[in-house]
Amino acid sequence: MVSAVSTSDLNLDLCAQEPIRIPGSIQPHGMLVVVDPDSRQIVQVSANASALLGNDRREAVLGLSLRQAIGEIAERQITAWLRTADSSYLRTLEINGRRLQVLGHQTPQGVVLEFEQPPASEVETLEAYYPRIGRFMEDVSAYADLADLCNAAAREFRRISGFNRVMIYSFDAQWNGEVLAEDGDGVLPSYLGHRFPASDIPAQARELYRLNRLRIIPDANYQPVPLEPAFHPRDGKPLDMSFAALRSVSPVHLQYMRNMGTIASMSISILMDGKLWGLVSCHNATPRRVNAQARTACDLLGKVLSQHIGARQRNAYAAKRIDLKRIESELLTKIASSDSFQSGLAANANIWLGLTGAAGAAVLHDDAIFTVGATPSAARLRMLTEKLQAQGTESFATDSLGLEWPDFADLSEVASGVLAISISQLHPSYIFWFRPEVERTVLWAGDPRKPTETVHDRLHPRLSFASWKEQVKNRALPWSQAEIDGALDFRNAIINFVLRRAEERAELTSQLQRSNKELESFSYSVSHDLRAPFRHIVGYTQLLREREKSLSAQSQHYLDSINEAAASAGQLVDDLLSFSQLGRTTLAVLPVDMHKLMQEIIRSVEPDIRGRQIEWKVQPLPPTTGDAGLLRQALYNLVDNSLKYTRDRTPAVVEIGGEQTRTECIYTVRDNGVGFDMAYVHKLFGVFQRLHRMEEFAGTGIGLALTRRIIERHGGWIEARGVVEQGAEFRFGLPRRGDNLDG
Amino acid sequence: MADLRPILLVEDNLKDIELTLAALAKCQLANDIVVARDGAEALEYLYCRGRYQDRIPGDPAVVLLDLKLPKVDGLEVLAKIKSEGATRSVPVVMLTSSREESDLVRSYELGVNAFVVKPVDFNRFFEAIQDLGMFWGVLNETPPRSWTNRDPT
Repeated sequence: MVSAVSTSDLNLDLCAQEPIRIPGSIQPHGMLVVVDPDSRQIVQVSANASALLGNDRREAVLGLSLRQAIGEIAERQITAWLRTADSSYLRTLEINGRRLQVLGHQTPQGVVLEFEQPPASEVETLEAYYPRIGRFMEDVSAYADLADLCNAAAREFRRISGFNRVMIYSFDAQWNGEVLAEDGDGVLPSYLGHRFPASDIPAQARELYRLNRLRIIPDANYQPVPLEPAFHPRDGKPLDMSFAALRSVSPVHLQYMRNMGTIASMSISILMDGKLWGLVSCHNATPRRVNAQARTACDLLGKVLSQHIGARQRNAYAAKRIDLKRIESELLTKIASSDSFQSGLAANANIWLGLTGAAGAAVLHDDAIFTVGATPSAARLRMLTEKLQAQGTESFATDSLGLEWPDFADLSEVASGVLAISISQLHPSYIFWFRPEVERTVLWAGDPRKPTETVHDRLHPRLSFASWKEQVKNRALPWSQAEIDGALDFRNAIINFVLRRAEERAELTSQLQRSNKELESFSYSVSHDLRAPFRHIVGYTQLLREREKSLSAQSQHYLDSINEAAASAGQLVDDLLSFSQLGRTTLAVLPVDMHKLMQEIIRSVEPDIRGRQIEWKVQPLPPTTGDAGLLRQALYNLVDNSLKYTRDRTPAVVEIGGEQTRTECIYTVRDNGVGFDMAYVHKLFGVFQRLHRMEEFAGTGIGLALTRRIIERHGGWIEARGVVEQGAEFRFGLPRRGDNLDG
Repeated sequence: MADLRPILLVEDNLKDIELTLAALAKCQLANDIVVARDGAEALEYLYCRGRYQDRIPGDPAVVLLDLKLPKVDGLEVLAKIKSEGATRSVPVVMLTSSREESDLVRSYELGVNAFVVKPVDFNRFFEAIQDLGMFWGVLNETPPRSWTNRDPT
């Protein structure tokens, strides 16, 4: 059963669950009846409803027809309203010899009619308020800022309603209210600039305030009047009084009012885009009733105020967005001409920071970090990125990082404010903006940490509303909606940019593949058509030599030269072909016994070094993985090189060694040959690069280039050291993990 | 000892023909050398068609086949020879300038009997040609004609 909760049962923890829409009772300054829309029978009444009938009738109102209860003339008015599409009704009607203000609204449970006797002293028609409201509407655009506008509105609300004090306050993101404007006659204390904690107005009350814009409590010490029967006869549920002006309020709220020293109150919601933006809160130290016309005027004024605040905010937002859009296009233009968006950002620090009005910014992409201004360390940025990645949101904005994520409290000084946008769904890639902590003092109307106090073992709303100063730490200036939206726009632009770059890269890759294909067919032709003429030259000189037995020594020499030239040109073509083929053949990666390979190479060069004194110093070589054929060629070239450049040494010493580290196998080929000048070491591995004159040492100049290419295709490295006339040393390393191979 | 079937040299380059013939002459083979200048002519010879429709039937001892040929190229000729029951057992040696990997792979896929890259060095070229002539023209035994002419399908 529903009954008025007695003040002694107060439990504020239950505040948020309290069924404020179905209190089952009304405030005593009026009467309420529920009329069945079809039968026009009265099906539910407030216990004081019999007063409707006037002094001479004593019968119960419940069960009467509406006409029986309020008379034919009034009933016709109501019926006329019900035939219209209007959802609510307000009129002063003559009922059973008295003038009563009648408020009507329709609910699924029936037509709810509320009757109030107008306060005798202040009977004023709605028309009387019009000039004042009209003036306000004319002046309203002249107020430069929000505070001026709200102060003017507060004055107007107070003039119309006659309360001791009118406050206008707005909610912050946490639903704390901050008093922006106030007008009072000095009877009640001023709370201008103070804050009221979110717990003062529980969530379900805020939702009701959003739906029903105006509430009034003429006397906080009232005795509630119950509804009879408690449950609606048709659906068995308590009456939903969301839109009833007489709705009885929570006893906690009444206690709150008494603690605050305000016995009468009226509040009007300020809505913005359907959301509760703030409240106009009117208070009186003594009981005070406001007639329905004044309430309607206040309601109208509230709408005007809402619209103007809304317009101002939209204008301010639009202006800011235009401003930020200009910055964004400037930044995007710069980025478009940069190598990467990260370098574009870093090179234009001021514009980047200006996009959100930040003091520091960072971009983390492909594991690289660029920062400008004051930012957390790279290590902390990575942790922040991990945390964001784990949350999986596209964007994140806070003005109090350390309070929201205590793990990051150490960053408060530079990064209390964080605005982050994710620019890749696959990889941890973020752009960050940071704002430093700004310490400031906030005034609260009473200590917000103690919304309740225990008095005589009972919980009460806080007793003191005296100014309470809070030093706010770990908070930055909050990001505005325009800044957050601007960052989101920027996010889309960057994602498009990254995608476009990827497409360009893909396009480039396919172009490269095309030109690679062309090169391939070119070298194919070369291998066929360029080799043949050299072969023919060699062949015909040989035939000529066999046919002409009596050639002079000079002619013999000419033939030899032709033969040599053609043979070395043919060799050159062959070497070039194997070099170009190396880029496109697939590696056949298998375990390779490098020691055995080396022994085999030494055996294969034996015929070429017959008659030379060679001292081989071969240490055991560690095995590796790779393409045995190619590795053989690489090693062979090095050994061949050593043999070639030690031609004049007796003995020639060729040392071959190997070692194994945790990550790679390193092989060394060293000789005591002619060596080379380290000044030219960078030319050693180039194609056609020779450090010696052709006639000194034969060769095509491709061998070492080929060797390096083989080593690099295995994911390894090669280096050379030499001293002129003392010898050369080549070292190459191959990774021990097979997964580094590109083949 | 195989009966003396001719060697079919399929080569479009006159100089290569001359040098190859010079090399083959050196080993004094008794086999005839038939030279076809392109793939189409090689096929006419093999299947006794066109300008070879009146020749005495019989398969060559070996086909020395260049890869790059006018009209019908070496790989196409090889494919044809190895796909026809009548010529499947005719030995084919690719004799080419290219050691291109893809050509090697393709040739072996098609059933080539040997793949020889012509060496630039003339002595080695001579040796290679002579070896080929000796091996395929003299030493290698071809299957009996009765089997050769059978269509395995």
